[in-house]
Amino acid sequence: MKLTVSHPSHIREGVTIKSIMWSKIVILLVLSLFSVVVFGLQALALLLVSILAAVLTEAGIQKLTNQELTIQDGDAVLIGLIIALLLPPGIELWIPVVGVFFAVALVKHGFGGLGSTLFNPAIAAWVFMNMSWKALAGSKSISIPHIGEYTDLLMEFGAGRMAEVSSVVLIIGGLYLIYKKYIDWRIPLLYLSSTIIMAVILGEELSYVLTGMLFLGVFILAPDPTTSPITKNGRIIYGLLCGIMTVIYGYLTYNYVVAVLYTVFFANAIAPFIEKNTYPKPVNEVPA
Amino acid sequence: MTTEDVKNVKDKEVRKQVVIPLLQHIGAVCEPIVDKKTNVLIGQKIGEGNNEFSVPVHSSTAGHVVAIEERPHPICGSVPSVIIESNETNDTIEFKTIKNPSKEYIISALKDSGVVELNGYSIYNMLTSGKLIDVVLINLSFSGDVSSNCAPENIASIIEGMNLLIKASDAQQGAFIIQKDDRQLISAIESGLFEEADIEIFTVEQNYPPSMANLLAYEITGMQIPNICTPLDAGVLLSSASSALAVRKAVLEGIPQITVNITVTGAVHNPGVKNVRIGTSIKEVIDSCGGYSGEPGKIIMNGIFSGTALSTDEVPVIKSTSHIIVQSSDEVLHDIPGPCIQCARCVDICPVNILPGRIASFADMGMHDECFKLHVNSCVECGLCVYVCPSGRHILQLIRYSKTVLQQLLKYEDETGYSGCLTCETPCLASTPFISNGGIL
Repeated sequence: MKLTVSHPSHIREGVTIKSIMWSKIVILLVLSLFSVVVFGLQALALLLVSILAAVLTEAGIQKLTNQELTIQDGDAVLIGLIIALLLPPGIELWIPVVGVFFAVALVKHGFGGLGSTLFNPAIAAWVFMNMSWKALAGSKSISIPHIGEYTDLLMEFGAGRMAEVSSVVLIIGGLYLIYKKYIDWRIPLLYLSSTIIMAVILGEELSYVLTGMLFLGVFILAPDPTTSPITKNGRIIYGLLCGIMTVIYGYLTYNYVVAVLYTVFFANAIAPFIEKNTYPKPVNEVPA
Repeated sequence: MTTEDVKNVKDKEVRKQVVIPLLQHIGAVCEPIVDKKTNVLIGQKIGEGNNEFSVPVHSSTAGHVVAIEERPHPICGSVPSVIIESNETNDTIEFKTIKNPSKEYIISALKDSGVVELNGYSIYNMLTSGKLIDVVLINLSFSGDVSSNCAPENIASIIEGMNLLIKASDAQQGAFIIQKDDRQLISAIESGLFEEADIEIFTVEQNYPPSMANLLAYEITGMQIPNICTPLDAGVLLSSASSALAVRKAVLEGIPQITVNITVTGAVHNPGVKNVRIGTSIKEVIDSCGGYSGEPGKIIMNGIFSGTALSTDEVPVIKSTSHIIVQSSDEVLHDIPGPCIQCARCVDICPVNILPGRIASFADMGMHDECFKLHVNSCVECGLCVYVCPSGRHILQLIRYSKTVLQQLLKYEDETGYSGCLTCETPCLASTPFISNGGIL
């Protein structure tokens, strides 16, 4: 009789990195479906090129450095997918390829791979592309969505980027992620509520604020596990900060879409600082 | 003296051999007070310690001592044990019964009865520690203990045990702690309590295993108790259903703790609750449950989240055994840990509010000073962080590793003036949670 000896716990909940990543991918694929309806086949081409480039880059790096292939955990697919969603369809297809290579090779594997990244690879790559080829990939000359009617929440034909197409898909998907405890509720709740409160205080029109990009930020980009603080209070501060920054940037530039991306990029940068200053006190701490 | 319980012991199938470890509590190992070839009776004292924290050990069968040697122990590697071969009779020592005992009588009866809490602390030592006890709590929220000892016919005895503890400790009041969902047990206790004015029922949300005693006391009294202290320091005597039954038996019937109730679940043919003698091997207990169904892969003692996986089924049942879980070989986890993705699921579930995943990562890199700064010693080793980890990381193993290394480091510093209380060779009330919470037992 062979008995296994190990430390507790002797059972597991069954949530894995794979299940977290792939459920996010499924939500974003539904969103992509909507964007293909709006933008046509050029959106499909962008999606395919972007995802393929991400998977090939990751596989190449892991082959070259003799690491185990981890394509199946879905992280590379997710990075490729998010980058495609952040770009306007009709973009020249070499730009997402370079952007995805930047994201996977430099921002993800350059910093130590899954779990060690400082910035969300997709957002860092978007910032890189936006700065390098502003006219092609950047914020100029792309239409800014405006939620004029309630149907725009479901299907926004005035979207400039693929992620802005449907807020409803992202809201339902985000609530599902929170329900399954794949993401924490603190960041989405505080990000969304502080954005709305700030916008109301500054007298902004909410129809420009509550775009699909904001919901992508609230439910997918900001609560990204690796780049957000791990402490409970830290996540509250992080969510508040995201909301306040988004509205300040949007108020000054009249562009709430780009505001979300730059805000999360900035928040990622100071997340370690937030974390360091919010270490919790154990309930049974030995008094000094 | 033959009482109902002794009859139960007698009616059971007599075991051929029992192995009684001389360490079934937190404290020094007992000295055997019988020799090889000595004849012993049921209930006879066979081991006693001169240390303050020692708890006597009694024979659970009648027969003669065949050997006193080191034998495998469920938790402590191998420990000196008394091996008694049964002579197939049921001769007992004389048990002294009493009705309405005085406070002094209860304490003196508990002194020699060797009643031990599920976490290894002796009830007698708790009562005589000199600390003021305000309230007696009986924890009925640990599923293993509840399923073994809270059968309807035991409820009255548990309440009697509670009354004895209140009397012995001069406490103002007592309370039962029951999990919110356990409606059946709540109503059973309520109907048993109809005339007791000073005993209340508290409901809690979660399952509190014995290792989380301090957190339970915090939940009830609101007093934060660091890991180097026990609930006693907050004026709380925390007991369990199993020891309440043992206290009642020891005081009113004079029978020392020689049997325990054990729930057997998992991959066995007839899972259920068994009343077994201390010293019976786990294998015999499982055989009495119809044996293994399928190839066993893991045998877990005392709880699926924080229990100990046994290396062999030849180890004896000890006083703090309450639950045996058998996992078949295909149920056993074989996780290859992935990287930590900092998802903070462990942080959200941690009952003591520390950062388990971060501590484990530092321990993995050998940065134990960082672990210390992140309060690794506050960990109560409940195992929930491992349960929720999506990456399959061995968080608790790394935390225990860090605790062990830190203990060595702090011990070394002691010679240069460090005044911590981590210096004893033998585990003591103060230092044990530091090593491995849940105590030794």
